[in-house]
Amino acid sequence: MTNSLSELNRQAEEDISSCLSLKELDSVRVFYLGKKGKVSLELKSLSKLNPKDRPEFGKKVNEVKKTLQKLIAVKKAELNDKKIKASIDRAGIDVTLPGKTKPIGQIHPLSITLNAIEKIFINAGFIVDDGPEIEDEYHNFTALNIPQNHPARAMHDTFYFDTQYLLRTHTSPIQIRSMEREGVPIRVIAPGKVYRRDSDITHTPMFHQVEGLVIDRNINFTHLKGILHDFINVFFNDDMSLRFRPSYFPFTEPSAEVDLLSKDGQWLEILGCGMVHPNVLDNLGIDNRKYSGYAFGMGVERLTMIKYGINDIRLFFENDLNFLSQFK
Amino acid sequence: MKLPIEWLNEFYKQDLDPGKIVEKLTLSGLECEVTTHQKRPVLDFSLTPNRADCFSVKGILQELSAVGKKPIKALQTPSSEIHHKDIVPVEIKSYKDCPVFITRVIKNYDRKVKSPKWLQERLNLCGFKSVNLIVDIANMVMLETGQPLHTYDLDYINSKIIVRRAKNKEALTILDGSQQILDKDYLIIADRDKPLGIAGIMGSLESGISESTSSILLESAYFNPETIMGKARMLNLSSEASLRFERGVDPNIQNHAVERFTQLLNQEAGGENGLSHQSMSKKDKPQNKSIALRKEQIQRILGITIPNKKIKSILLKLDMDVQEKDFGYQGWSITAPSYRFDIKDECDLIEEIARIYGFENIPESQESMNISLGKNTERLDKRDLINNLLCNLGYSEVINYSFVSPSMNTSSNNSSTDVMDLQNPLSIDMSVMRNSLWPGLLSNLVYNIKRQRKDLRLFEVGKVFSSLDKSPHEITVISGLTYGNVNNEQWGQPNNPNDFYNVKGDIQTLLEIFNLKSSVSFKETKHNMLCPGRTASVNLNNKVVGYVGELNPEISDDLKLEFNPILFELNHNALKLSSDLKYAPSKYFPYSRRDLSLILNEDIEVNKVIKLIEAIKIKDLQETIIFDVFKGDKIEKGRKSVSIGLIFQSKSRTLNDDEIDKHMLKINQHLLKKMKIKVR
Repeated sequence: MTNSLSELNRQAEEDISSCLSLKELDSVRVFYLGKKGKVSLELKSLSKLNPKDRPEFGKKVNEVKKTLQKLIAVKKAELNDKKIKASIDRAGIDVTLPGKTKPIGQIHPLSITLNAIEKIFINAGFIVDDGPEIEDEYHNFTALNIPQNHPARAMHDTFYFDTQYLLRTHTSPIQIRSMEREGVPIRVIAPGKVYRRDSDITHTPMFHQVEGLVIDRNINFTHLKGILHDFINVFFNDDMSLRFRPSYFPFTEPSAEVDLLSKDGQWLEILGCGMVHPNVLDNLGIDNRKYSGYAFGMGVERLTMIKYGINDIRLFFENDLNFLSQFK
Repeated sequence: MKLPIEWLNEFYKQDLDPGKIVEKLTLSGLECEVTTHQKRPVLDFSLTPNRADCFSVKGILQELSAVGKKPIKALQTPSSEIHHKDIVPVEIKSYKDCPVFITRVIKNYDRKVKSPKWLQERLNLCGFKSVNLIVDIANMVMLETGQPLHTYDLDYINSKIIVRRAKNKEALTILDGSQQILDKDYLIIADRDKPLGIAGIMGSLESGISESTSSILLESAYFNPETIMGKARMLNLSSEASLRFERGVDPNIQNHAVERFTQLLNQEAGGENGLSHQSMSKKDKPQNKSIALRKEQIQRILGITIPNKKIKSILLKLDMDVQEKDFGYQGWSITAPSYRFDIKDECDLIEEIARIYGFENIPESQESMNISLGKNTERLDKRDLINNLLCNLGYSEVINYSFVSPSMNTSSNNSSTDVMDLQNPLSIDMSVMRNSLWPGLLSNLVYNIKRQRKDLRLFEVGKVFSSLDKSPHEITVISGLTYGNVNNEQWGQPNNPNDFYNVKGDIQTLLEIFNLKSSVSFKETKHNMLCPGRTASVNLNNKVVGYVGELNPEISDDLKLEFNPILFELNHNALKLSSDLKYAPSKYFPYSRRDLSLILNEDIEVNKVIKLIEAIKIKDLQETIIFDVFKGDKIEKGRKSVSIGLIFQSKSRTLNDDEIDKHMLKINQHLLKKMKIKVR
């Protein structure tokens, strides 16, 4: 009996040490130590023994069991190490091959500018509004102090549908709509497409503007200068030189054009602005003795062209991916 | 308007420095630049419509004087010898239209005399062509004084001049050779039997000066700007005269201009001068009223305190009449000179003060404001969400014109609306408002393919337009196009062309980030730009909010495309940020998966089967996954194999096999009963 047990032990040790894989080792484990394995059978045969021999024999079987378990554990660790090492040995790949990518798009440069403008003004407490692109005469002109036949209408080269409707020539009508709806005080910007009958290297028949309007008690020209200079500095992320020069818009007075000093010392016209004309406030039933305000309008294409050094406005609407993909 | 600096220099002791002049004028509101013509510096002005007073040498001198460059002499009105008393009688039908009308007959000047060289050169520098002596002098006087003059061949005028409104459909051929048909909105100068010209705009061809003319009638008028305004534009004309008249000329300068013209004509070609024949209505002449200017209002609008002395000196420099007045507050009573049409109200005066004081001398400051946080950021959040997702899905944003060619505007699926036609388009290709963004995306596609792009995805967010019951209707849509392969060409990745399901997936993802996944459904439909059988409407709570599909192969063929692009369009308003998200506490219990394999008739939509399974309302059925759809070899013709994974999971306990078996049995029976579908 004891002999056969030691034979079992020897055979098992041999089987364990000759294992080449974890799988093989596991089947050896099952063969000897599994529920129906050889060692388990030996333990079950205890019942057939003379009761006085049982403790002795049981102890021996358990010793064998422990020895084998230990051997298996050691072997398992050894094989596992080998396996990891082997997988590391096989791991070498060409890490310089390109990664697997999915195509990625980008937003239009004008959208980048519009986003930037909106975010800057939202930070300054403005709300963002919009209005229809097909406007009526009243909101595009009359309410803005540009009566029928006024020479200022000639500045606008308007696209008409009929006597009543036209394509808005500026985002200023949104001022009117915002005030009609929100009343005063108001701090609003209104970005959007505008249309003028004009087409050359510096003009496209459709372009984008952002209109701004603030009406409150005690708003004056120094505030207008202040906010626009702040805006330009933030937008260009630099300390920029600005020049305000008197100009004319029927809906503001005083009116100013704002020029930006370019790196090469040129004054570039970037926006128009002014104090809201009392007639405009009157048209909307706002008491101009209590309230005053400023308004400004900037060309989004112009700002984008200056920021990125783009020289032809038509590029924005050609939608050539070689152009667009530069703005990632 | 162009003026050579040498002309201005005649009024100064020392020659003006062109660079300094330009800067001074620009900073006071007269935008101008120096150009050179025949090596002589010329000032080129871009005048704003309010500054009609600057349309002349006289006006520029006034402005220079206001900014501190006072000329040493002013324009003097010459007086001319009178040789005869002949006049042409003038009848003015409405003095309101024409408050001042001065004429002079000048006879027998030497018609052989050509414009002298100095005059021709001067006009050239001003951008005018030399025509003949009479016209050249008239133009020179206009440039000098701002008063447009008109000259008629005296022999052509039949007995009298009548200033009247045109009759309906009254026609005349004007100087530029065009025939104009007028109506009562137009003021004309006529004689007894024919029109001689459109007042303030252009004379008739035949009444003009010819080589045989040796006696003229000179006209120097003041027309009411409101009568002239917009008329030239209506006739598609623009003349130097209309430019000035519609903005307003000085109502007190007509006589000066007549005398100056006479002086110059006599000087060059002699002639016998008649009386200056004046028709005038004082009460219809514009009279600048006095304006109350409040010191406090200057401060309120400009935000600075300008000393009284300074304010007064600015106004005086601008030729204003300044009276100290006690209104019960500190202020002045101001009357502007007759040539300043733009000064009507207090705000006009404040602008004048500001611009002469110098915008650069007004400081910048920050408002003290009551900011309310977080208003209206939804619009921005929504845009960021859409833009970021579509970019990450590989789409590039484009921006196209809102007007298209009528032939491209066929994509609307709604025949009950009309397109919006522009009355005055730039070209036929930009003559109607787009009713879809797809034509734009397709032209971008063709453009980029021509530049050797192969696989591309484009999107645009913009408005589409239609006319509903004659009023314009505009909505914002999100549209996209994919073309070519799903992936860029690369190793180790299969290169499949984009198909309907790729784009449908993109839409599902877009709807998912707006938390709309559960309310969306896709239904097969027809769309006149899309391929029948491969077109779906996108529905949110059973309302159509968009379309997705393959481009109709006929259109692809017309565009010579290798693949059929896949297009989508979604109503921007249908996407709303969910504002009421709430966390639902949940406990984990393991799920079990069972797979179903079905053989269906090819034309049965798999979605019907899913709906059928869902209709049983098994509470523990969490999710269904269609993991295979297969047609071909091993399947009977006309049939397809569909494999569906069913995920069972309870929220309160671990399900046991028996329970799930019961669910599966129910599903199998239901499918058999309702659709005669046998589970494999």
